[in-house]
Amino acid sequence: MTTRNFHRQTFWLIAAGTFVLLLSLSLASPASAEHPLQETEKYCLSCHGNQDLRMTLPSGEGLSLYISQDALDHSVHSSKGIECEACHTEITTYPHPELKYETGRELSRAFYQTCEKCHSVNYEKAQDSMHAQAAEAGNLDAPICTDCHGAHDVRPPDEPRSLISETCRQCHAEIVDTYRQSVHGAALMADENPDVPVCTDCHGVHNIQDPRTSQFRVAEPELCAGCHANEELMKKYGLSADVYSIYKRSWHGVDVSVYKAKWPTIWHDSAVCSDCHGIHDIRSTDDPQSKVNPNNLLTTCQQCHPTAGPNWTDAWTGHNEISLERTPALFYVEKFYTSFTPFVLWTCIIYVALQIIRATVDRVRRNLP
Amino acid sequence: MSGKRKNTPQAIRGQIVHQERTFPRFTVAQRWEHAVALISGLVLLLTGLPQKYRELSISQDLLSTPDRVELIRTIHHIAAVVLALEAVYHLGRIIYLMVKRRLPGDLLPTWQDVRDAGYMLQYLLFLRSDKPKFGRYNFEQKVTYWFIFFGFLIMGVSGFIIWFPIFFTQFLPGGVVPAAKLAHSTEAVVAAIFIVVWHVYHVHVERTNLSMFTGRLGERDMREFHEKEYERLTGESGGEK
Repeated sequence: MTTRNFHRQTFWLIAAGTFVLLLSLSLASPASAEHPLQETEKYCLSCHGNQDLRMTLPSGEGLSLYISQDALDHSVHSSKGIECEACHTEITTYPHPELKYETGRELSRAFYQTCEKCHSVNYEKAQDSMHAQAAEAGNLDAPICTDCHGAHDVRPPDEPRSLISETCRQCHAEIVDTYRQSVHGAALMADENPDVPVCTDCHGVHNIQDPRTSQFRVAEPELCAGCHANEELMKKYGLSADVYSIYKRSWHGVDVSVYKAKWPTIWHDSAVCSDCHGIHDIRSTDDPQSKVNPNNLLTTCQQCHPTAGPNWTDAWTGHNEISLERTPALFYVEKFYTSFTPFVLWTCIIYVALQIIRATVDRVRRNLP
Repeated sequence: MSGKRKNTPQAIRGQIVHQERTFPRFTVAQRWEHAVALISGLVLLLTGLPQKYRELSISQDLLSTPDRVELIRTIHHIAAVVLALEAVYHLGRIIYLMVKRRLPGDLLPTWQDVRDAGYMLQYLLFLRSDKPKFGRYNFEQKVTYWFIFFGFLIMGVSGFIIWFPIFFTQFLPGGVVPAAKLAHSTEAVVAAIFIVVWHVYHVHVERTNLSMFTGRLGERDMREFHEKEYERLTGESGGEK
């Protein structure tokens, strides 16, 4: 082997090595490329990887201590090197300190507080939520972080988007099932539609508030307007983006906006979107089951106007601008006053102005020698 | 230029108090009608405008609590009923007088009014040096009466429709309700503009004409603004002395 040959071999070796290294770097995901050493995870799972590992809590309730390697592998934390001890701070070695919790729920309610260490903003928000209030009122089943996000298997909550409704469905099954029949829910379930609202879009994410309060009620039109006044979005579905602006000028809308601005805590019955369109069961106007389908409209009006007769529905101009076809009486009244008002105003002003001028001139003339 | 002077018992030594001759113009009943219409109309306007322009800060001050809104609406409705009763009385009296064939036609618009208006316009544009001679009611006053007549009619009909929409839609098409709401809201402003600019100018700025309250009009005003009527009543020439 000549020196020249040796150099050539070395060159190719280095080249091939570099190629393989670059290839492996580019193929592997960035996370695993920087995959930190799973020291504690491996160590803990040497016991907790046993499916039969269990203990009995003082209440007599059994508690599985098994942690699935698979669940950890797919969680957002483990892949970022956030391991067991990041949350289980009280455990440093074996034997572990004794668990002082009567029930599994009590344990969960104590352990979830560790989320605050990293997720303080969302944690705080959750403490102001309706769920936290329910817990304070004594309902220990009220959800905590881990009920929605999972504990060892925390994954992105909105992948896919419909997963959010699945999460809420754990407790709110009836409502979610209704929602899934609605125009919004059906589109979500059919093709993970990115535009329709999921639970959290209307109710909030961590600071979910009671939707039955007067504050929520008077703010509702704006909530719906978030999408329904968005011209680009509405165009995509052939819907009018003027529904909100027209509603705001309506009898109902004026009342509601006054209450929102001045007396948000005082209950007011003037109709908001959901009173007519439904809440979780909103359907397209064309849907025969829609509350605002022309065939069902009178029944919907009668919720608040029980003595209204069949002509009543025409008194509602809908979310439509004034037009000759839909609202002829309104159309002609508007047409009349568009010219009559300025005509009266200018006739009065000009006539009176001419009189003032003439009277002044006459007076001056009389006083001249 | 002065009215006809007339010695009266009040003439005191060395000093003569001139008392102007006056002419009856409105009956007590008519003056009451005007007073009721004026007060209830004013209340309607003052309680209605804040409801129309709710976003203005002055309306917000007035409608500061839900109870206040309710109170303002109740006052508006009470004033509406008062004015409606007055309108019913007024129309009833017209019909009564018509049946009795005693309705004076002085307020009915005539071609003479159109000619007077043209004449007046020429005077105002300095194309004539004298004003037209008017009868008992000049065309300005007829315009006032008929404008308010139809204005109140529109306000009343539309107002009761939006007060009792469910009742009216039992036999009227639903479309009348939003139309009545728009008409009520707009006609109110038109009527307010008209009364403030046209009527207030003619009775308070051009001259102080309180005959609608006192019932009588002085000789000078009679001669200047109702010359034909003056001549008819007195048989004298109304021309300036």
